[in-house]
This record gives sequence, C-alpha cells and structure tokens, in this order.
Amino acid sequence: MQDESDSALIARAKEDPEAFGILYERYVNRIYNYIYYRTGNHQDAEDLTARTFYRALKHISRYVDRGAPFSAYLYRIAHNVVANWHRDTSRRQIISLDDLIVGTLKRDGPASLAEEREEQDLLLDAARRLPPERQQLLILKFVEQMRNAEIAEVMGRTEGAIKSLYHRTLVALREDFAELQDGQEGVREGTSNG
Amino acid sequence: MDEERASEVLATYVDGLVNHTGAVHQVDMTDEEHARLTRLFRLTERLQQSMRPVQPSADFVRGLGKDLVDRARRRIRLTKRLRRAALIGAATLGSLLSIASVVGAIVFLVTRLRARAQARAIRAPTG
Repeated sequence: MQDESDSALIARAKEDPEAFGILYERYVNRIYNYIYYRTGNHQDAEDLTARTFYRALKHISRYVDRGAPFSAYLYRIAHNVVANWHRDTSRRQIISLDDLIVGTLKRDGPASLAEEREEQDLLLDAARRLPPERQQLLILKFVEQMRNAEIAEVMGRTEGAIKSLYHRTLVALREDFAELQDGQEGVREGTSNG
Repeated sequence: MDEERASEVLATYVDGLVNHTGAVHQVDMTDEEHARLTRLFRLTERLQQSMRPVQPSADFVRGLGKDLVDRARRRIRLTKRLRRAALIGAATLGSLLSIASVVGAIVFLVTRLRARAQARAIRAPTG
C-alpha cells in the first residue's frame, strides 16, 4: 500500500480516509521543512503544517490530477499559508521561543561557536528576505536535496530556468548577506564604543 | 563568462555538493571563471551547512495524522449522507410529480366528460 502512486491514493482518498493518511505520512516532513525554513521556528512550523494539510484535505475531493506532482499542490498551499502568516505577523511583532533559546545558547556557548551560529542565523535571515519562489528553490535544493529536474517539476519551470534562477538567487543572497553582516558589525562597533 | 555558462557551472557545483557526486570536478573552468564564481561557491557551501533537514516531533506527526484521518472519515461520512439525502429527496420529488400528474390527468378527464354530458343534455329535445 505504501508503494501506491500518488494519483491512485488521491483517487482513493475521496472515498477512503486511510488513503489521505498515507499521503500525509509521505509528505509531512517535506512540508514541515519548507515551512520551518520560511518561518524560522518550530512552533509556527507545526501550526502552519497542520493548516496546510487541513486545507489539502478540504479540497481533495475537487483535486484534478493534471500530471504535476502532488507535492507541487501541497507546496502551493503551504506557500499561501505562509504568505498569510507573514501578513498577520508583520502586524504584530513576535519573538519566537526558538529565537530566545538560540539567544541563550549564543550567550552561553563558547565564543567561536556563538559566532558561527550567529553567522548561520544571519545567512538564514538573508535567505528569508528573498522572494518566496527563491526561498522555495533554496529549500528544495539544500534541505530536500532534490535534483534540478525534480525542482523544475514542482515549481512548474524548465530545468534551464531553475539553473538560471539559482544563479540569480545566489547573487542576490550574497548581496543581502553582506548588507546584514555590515549592519551587524556596525551594531557591534556602536556597542563597544558606547 | 556569460550568464548561461555561469548558471551551468554553478548548478553542477551545487549538485556535486548536495548529492556528493563530485560532479564539480568534471567541469572545466578557466581561472577567470573560477575566480568569478569562488564567492558563490563559498556561499553555496555555507548554505549547505546552514540548511539541514529538520524533523518535526513524533508526537506532532502522530497527532496530526490521527486528526486528519478522523476528519477525512467524518467528511466522507457526511458526503455520503448528503448524497443519500439528495437521492431520497429527488426520488420523493419524482414520485410526488408522477402522482400529481396522474391526479391531474384524472381531474382533466372527469371535467371533460362532465362538460360533454352537460352539452349533450342541453342539446337533447325536450318533451
């Protein structure tokens, strides 16, 4: 039953609740990873992953299989859910628990480790400033470790377009990252002078 | 170095890094190309170190999975019930319509026969 194709499971899910359960188990980790790297904390990742699958379940009876992978459909829902979340959270500033924990670790850990962690956070912050489709590309490439052909299928583009988008994404990320690093150094200098 | 060539070299480098195929060693790069892309290669390596897969908690996965299957079961049951109700409704409506048409036909016939009988009675010679 675990080897059943997505198309067969989707057709069966309209009449059999267990079929949707199998689809869920197949994709929950991927969707969770995608949302985690878009939001930056586990609490929101859990909440938005649940919302994504509830929405997929609600619309599964109207799902039309046009040959695109089911994951593309889920990523699209996840993308919309995250976009709504960003819109809502931009109105009210929240400090996530993960940030607080990381902050504590930064202060408690050895200096080199803390610096490394800080730089990683800065890079992820810069990645989160990129347009959504570029973030998706980085997540599919580095977290999901997909091949370009698979990414092209999920994102509805050609393989060549994906390679080109990847190049442009890296160039933009390099600039954003450098900007953030400069800002960070400015803050540090300001603190040490003051 | 044109855009297309840079994209191709970079894509090969990333694939080699992510999938551990070492494909980057198969790409012939000039020193100028290498120098131009070095910073992007470093950035790619940093991304690979920073963007590692994370695991949702087992409790969360189990709990959400159970809830989804329960919801799916309820939705399917509700859909079936609605479908059955619609079927019964349509059948009832169909039956009522056919009874109404039979009654209508009888009423029509009776009225017509009565009208004919009255007409005959008026036309019949008296005395």
